[in-house]
Formats: sequence, C-alpha cells, structure tokens
Amino acid sequence: MGDAIDRRRRLLLGAALSGMAAIDAGLTAKAHAQAKAPAATRTSVLRRLEPLRHVETDVLSIACFEEGPATGPAVILLHGFPYDIHTYADVAAILAANGCRVIVPCLRGYGETRFRDTAMPRSGEQAALGADVIALIDALHIERAVFAGHNWGGRAATVAAALWPDRCAGLVTVNSYLIQDMSRAMVPSAPENEEAMWYEYYFQLERGRAGLATNRRRIARMLWEEWSPDWDFDDATFDRSAAALDNPDFVDVAIHSYRHRFGNADGDPRYAELAKRLAAMPPITVPSVTLDGDSDGVVAAGDGSTSAARFAGRRIHRVVKGAGHNVPQEAPEAFAAGVMELVRA
Amino acid sequence: MARASSTLRLEPLRHVDAGPLNVAYHEAGPANGPVVMLLHGFPYDIHSYVDVAPMLAAQGCRVIVPYLRGYGPTRFRDEATPRSGEQAAMGADLMALMDALSIQRAVFAGYDWGGRAACIGAALWPERCRGLVCVNSYLIQDIARAMKPASVMQEVAYWYQYYFQIERGRAGLAANRGDIAKILWKQWSPNWDFDDACFERTAIAFDNPDYVDVVIHSYRHRYGLAESDPQYADIQRRLAALPQITVPAITLDGAGDGVVPATDGKSSAAKFTGGRMHRVIPRAGHNLPQEEPEAFAAAVMELIGGRHG
Repeated sequence: MGDAIDRRRRLLLGAALSGMAAIDAGLTAKAHAQAKAPAATRTSVLRRLEPLRHVETDVLSIACFEEGPATGPAVILLHGFPYDIHTYADVAAILAANGCRVIVPCLRGYGETRFRDTAMPRSGEQAALGADVIALIDALHIERAVFAGHNWGGRAATVAAALWPDRCAGLVTVNSYLIQDMSRAMVPSAPENEEAMWYEYYFQLERGRAGLATNRRRIARMLWEEWSPDWDFDDATFDRSAAALDNPDFVDVAIHSYRHRFGNADGDPRYAELAKRLAAMPPITVPSVTLDGDSDGVVAAGDGSTSAARFAGRRIHRVVKGAGHNVPQEAPEAFAAGVMELVRA
Repeated sequence: MARASSTLRLEPLRHVDAGPLNVAYHEAGPANGPVVMLLHGFPYDIHSYVDVAPMLAAQGCRVIVPYLRGYGPTRFRDEATPRSGEQAAMGADLMALMDALSIQRAVFAGYDWGGRAACIGAALWPERCRGLVCVNSYLIQDIARAMKPASVMQEVAYWYQYYFQIERGRAGLAANRGDIAKILWKQWSPNWDFDDACFERTAIAFDNPDYVDVVIHSYRHRYGLAESDPQYADIQRRLAALPQITVPAITLDGAGDGVVPATDGKSSAAKFTGGRMHRVIPRAGHNLPQEEPEAFAAAVMELIGGRHG
C-alpha cells in the first residue's frame, strides 16, 4: 500500500504543483520571530491539552481546552477529521505565549463533547459545524474571535466567518474556502482526486459505516499517512488523537457528514435556514490567511487563485513547505503566525 | 515465444447472435481442436489474451476470445434489454455463446469479471466445462455478505467500487473511462511496464455505448444496491448458495497483484471438489494472462492434456 500512496501522491502533486513556485521561504523565520514560544514546544509531542472544561450550548456539551490570558484576544482553534484537539497542541502554546486567549473545542462526535439529548440527530453537516462555533462563543460570552481551522474545522471556521462576520476578527484556514457547493456534489473530479476520496465513497455504503465502526483507528491512521506523506508522526502522537474517535457519536456524525455533502442524507431541520444561506456560497468579508501544505495528499496545494473571488476582504495565501493536510500540527509556527497576523491587524 | 508487439491486434473478429447479445469474438486455431474460452476482465478487453491465444492455437486448441457485454464491438440486440453487469448474466452469456457456436464442452479460462464468468459456467454447467483456469481462485460473489467490511487496505483498493455507487461515480466513469482504467492498471499490476500503445489498444473497448451502464450495474449489484435483471433470477438464486466447482481446476495468483492479494489458495480449497492446483506466479499482477502468458497458457494446456485431475 506504500506504493499506492506514493503513486497517489505523485499523481496529485504532479498535477497541482507543475508551474507553481509559491513557496513562502520567509515564513518560518518570520513565524519564529513573531512567536516567542520556544522551539521546545515541537519536541513536547506528548503534551495533552488538559484540563478540559465543558460548555453547554443548546445542542451540545462541548469539551474545550482553554489556554492563555482570559483578557487576551480570543482565538477558536478547530480540528478536522479524523483528528482531534491535539492538532493544536503546539499552536495553542505559541498563541497563549503571545497573549491570546485560546479555545480548542472537541467538535461534535469527538473526544469528550456530547449531545445533550439522545434524540438529537447526529448531524455532521457543515451548517451544524458552523453553528456550533457560534453557540460556543455565545456560551463563553466571547463577542469576537479569530476562527482558525483545517478540514472540518476549517469548514466550521469558514461557515461561521461567512454567516456571522460581526463575530469574526479574522479567518485562518487550510485549503482556502471550504463551504461545500452541494449543487456540484455530483460533478466528478479528476480520477486521481476521486481515488484520494476513497473513504468518502466508502462511507456512502452501510459497509463503510460498519468498516468505520470496526476499524476507525486503522482508517484514521491510513488517512493521516496518505494526507501527510512527509509527516513522521509516532504511535504515541497518533494514539493521543485517536482516543477522541471513540466518542459514541463519532461514527454517526462522520457518516452523516460524508453522506450529506453528496446529497445522500437529509440535513437536520434545525439548520435548514443556515444550509440555505450556505447554498449561495457566501463570500468571506473578514481578513483572512489561507494556508496550503505543499505535500498535502488529499487536497493538492494551489496558488489560491481559484478561490480568490470568495474572499471579499483582505486575504493572504501561503504554501507551507513540507506540510501535509494537518498543517497546524505539522507546521505550528506557520499556522500560529497566520493567526497572529490577524490578531495584530 | 516472443511477446506480441503492443500494436498487434487479435483480428479478425467474428460476430454471432447469442442470447441477448451480438457477441464480437476472436477465434484462432484448428476448428476441430479442443475448445478454450478466454474471458477478459474489467477494465480490460480481449487483448489480455494477445499472447495466450496464439500460444494455445499453436498447440492445437480452438480458441474463442469474446468481448464481454459492454466492451468493444459486442452489442445488445434489443435496446430494451437491461444493461445488467451482474455475475449471473456473465455466466449466462458464456453458455449462450457456446450454444450459438455449437460448442459442447470447453476449458473456461479467465480473470476478474471473466474469471467470475468462468467460475459460474463451471459451477452451474459442469457438463459443459472440461476444466477451469481462474486467477484469484473462487470468484462467485457472496452478495449476502457484501456489507461486511474487509481490511482497510483492501477497502482502499476498492475505491473505484465505492465511487461507482453514487451518480458522481457514474458521471466520472463516463467522462474519464480511460484515465480511471489506467490508474487501475497501474495499481493492480505494479510490476507490469505496459506502454501507451498497449493501453490504447484496449482502451477503445471502453467506448462501447453500454460500457458505463454495465460497469455501474455490476458494481452496484454486487453490494445489493441494484436490481437484478429478472431473466437471471434463477441463476442468481443458485449462485447465492456459492456452489462448488466440481471440474478440474487450476487457480493462479499473481504475487504482485495490487487489488486481490496473492494467497496460498487454502481459504477457497473447500470450493473445489474436482481436483485443483493453485500456483502463485512471481511478479505477475492482476492481468495475469497478459503479463505472464506462458504461465497462463501452460495451465490451460495441462487441463487439455488431461495430465491434471
């Protein structure tokens, strides 16, 4: 399978990177200069984000890690699938050391976050993820924050920034504009991209649901390896995050998320109005920094031009050298630097 | 024997009405020789046998190499016939072709879809089957267990099957049939250094107007997510019992097969009751007849010669 991954990578990267030379060579040094946190944060790979506090919203009891001065500018750090809050183990420390109030929630279906009502649909739709961000900052009485995320968390951040710009001081995402265009969900992509999305198609079948329930760690590990081919994470690092996938709602939320985006699952009526607004692909009007990992094995790095029209405010796009899909954990300085630029703006 | 150049074509083709199809096929060898049916897979065509067919013909066999339904110049005779790709249809097509050609008995040899057709023919009509050569052993699908997950690595290798479950996959196959096939060729035969001419020679078979419908139906039906063509209901009912293969059989696995990993044959041993030899062919991938024609042809000749079973 190593060969298959390598082949997949070559296909993806060959197509995406030919002719592109957008590597921001100065970024790492700049990030180090801005982030006063010591480089030692990278070596403490087994840092656990603890303790967690629980925040009640209308739907969820959200488990959150909080770090940094309570009076600092707030930053919400949103993880993806199949990851957890430890994507931000280093980023959180860097931002807190720079004076930010950092909130790192477990998304619905992950870690210690729970649905408050057993009857509540276990929706994984994008509107729900965005609404959860706003419900969380409401509950914490945070008026405005930087929303930063990757993968599902990047989508949650994009949704919240687009629909509640008055609550958003700035947006940092990996892979640019992440609101799903459901009207184009049935339009095929290039075969090598479709192959990289094998898990999404697998999850359309009950076989995929059973497979995820039975083999969630093996699937997650394979995706980590495929998506971050240059990231040499160890077992302890993987296991620290994989424990979050044992959440009793993980399978339901993940399966719903991947079916809903292809029109194969109904949305939760509670989010129908938001979903309708998202269908219009609303622009991002807040200042934004978008990052692509140049070795991202699932969403090929680009120069940001294809999504340029979605950003109506100031937007900086960077390609992060050596990073895969899990940019915040693989290149925490670069990710934290993106946040700090918005905090200081 | 030297390998055929990648520009050589299996020609001429003949056409015969057989069941719901007008089947295009290549024939080689003496008309009175022992008959061998060579059945190709997805996404391939009759040129999987571009070397095997002349080898067998030179040894006195009458070789029949049909394009399966949905491939090349084979056509449905009636616009209204469902474009089924279910396993029962593949087996029934084999019998209909033999009937149309007045062939009483033959060796059935195949891989992938063609290996499945051969297994079905051998299992349900053993009196018509002199012996079975099949890549990846027993290939009759256990649809009742289709929702049971396999290992994660196996599920990844099946990405195209899951893709084909949704309409996006149908549109993707229609738009990118060549590119998808090429990815699968490379994944399934990592040691096979085929050239563009070799691929293109086969890829034109995917322009068949029924290709997308048959392929999509095949991959949905096996997961219980597409209806059967009612005319095959009785055959499918018999296949659901996973019938044994009672004729002499030689099963081959490619040690480099990238989609169905090579085995020692033991897990399928109980399915073969008529004498069965299993071999792992070094380096070979999934398209074993084209990659290792000598090994494939030798297996056929052993069944013809009666030295086995």
